Amino acid sequence: MDPDEVEFLGEKSMIEIVPTFNSAPIYFIGGDVGPFRASIPLRVPLWVAVHLKQQQQCKIIPPDWMDLEKLENLKEEEKSNRSFIKMPSEHYIVEAKLILGCAADDIPRTDEIRTIIKDIWDIRKSKLRSSMDQMIKKSAMYAAVDNLTLMEINSIRPLLPHALEQIYRIKSNKRAILNRTQGSVTTPSNATGSFTN
Amino acid sequence: MDEIDIESALNEIENESDDEDEVQISLPEIIQLMEETWLNEKFSPEILPNKMEIVELLLDQITTLETNLKKLNNSDFKKGLYQMEVDRLRFLISSYLRKRLEKIEIFCTAILEQEKLRSQQGKDNYLSQNELQFAQEYDQSIKDNFESVMRFCPGIIETQIISPNIHSMVFLKSKENIDGIVIDDGNDDNDLIDLTTGAQVLIGYKSISNLVKNGDVHLI
Repeated sequence: MDPDEVEFLGEKSMIEIVPTFNSAPIYFIGGDVGPFRASIPLRVPLWVAVHLKQQQQCKIIPPDWMDLEKLENLKEEEKSNRSFIKMPSEHYIVEAKLILGCAADDIPRTDEIRTIIKDIWDIRKSKLRSSMDQMIKKSAMYAAVDNLTLMEINSIRPLLPHALEQIYRIKSNKRAILNRTQGSVTTPSNATGSFTN
Repeated sequence: MDEIDIESALNEIENESDDEDEVQISLPEIIQLMEETWLNEKFSPEILPNKMEIVELLLDQITTLETNLKKLNNSDFKKGLYQMEVDRLRFLISSYLRKRLEKIEIFCTAILEQEKLRSQQGKDNYLSQNELQFAQEYDQSIKDNFESVMRFCPGIIETQIISPNIHSMVFLKSKENIDGIVIDDGNDDNDLIDLTTGAQVLIGYKSISNLVKNGDVHLI
């Protein structure tokens, strides 16, 4: 899947904004948004927030987790834990990219936040690589990927599933050959078996 | 005034669809369903049962909204937002339909054979009427073309049907608690696993193809 398409799905997450204008609600097919009252916060889909921000019509309030201290803790936890920890948002990387991209002026210490999110992403990616390596070595045909976010899953999609498919192909060929040779050996012994009966 | 138009038009449609369907399902839920259907189609190796009723319902919504949009003043900031939503939905739908056509083009003979089998067994067809027609025409023209080329090299008549690799690995998210999924690991000893709601796994498509079709899990 194209990363843009992951972003497309991530753009549906809700985010809080403070509009700078008054307006009646907007009746989207996907649900109503609004009414907008100047300087009263409300929740809107991320794509609406980004659009309004680009028009300078709102301030974006960063999600709870987009806070230096919380991210610092998250990073430590991710580092010390061997498995993947649950991320505060299913689309954290998309949200971070879009919000930091368009509303850097609404968020304090953007550069540090950007760096730390990148760090978390890198830690998770390196864990992901080593567990992929293990998986292929053990040629496992099943894996729980519970706390992985969509973007992370998508990043391994070009490689892991295909590698496993090839392994499966080799294994099932081996099985077919084994069955065939066993079959030719067992048939006579069966025949003798039935003979004695 | 214009906004009220859109609102009332939307309400009308919502009421209409409520009358048609026994199951009450809201528009946001339908969009959610469309997204899942899109992802399922995108990642499943074989073609899935068509969900044209969702597509048509959403297309209806889009057309109504677009006609109402024309009445809206150009300077209204909402127009851009409405237009954006329409574009988003259109993308979703066309990407879904395109993915299906792509599969039909690759596996047309295999798909047509399965469809024939399904209608013989009295099961629902996976393709919509239009898709079926497309598949048949496509299949025919490929064969015609192949034959006309093959006249120059007689003796080769063997053709191999391309069919999807149903053993391919897929990521899925479970929507229910499901017990006893068999993992085919290529050896003879097969393990069983249980899924809890919300669980995400990487697994062979063959083990879970039925769960995708009945909607207990969706691919991601």
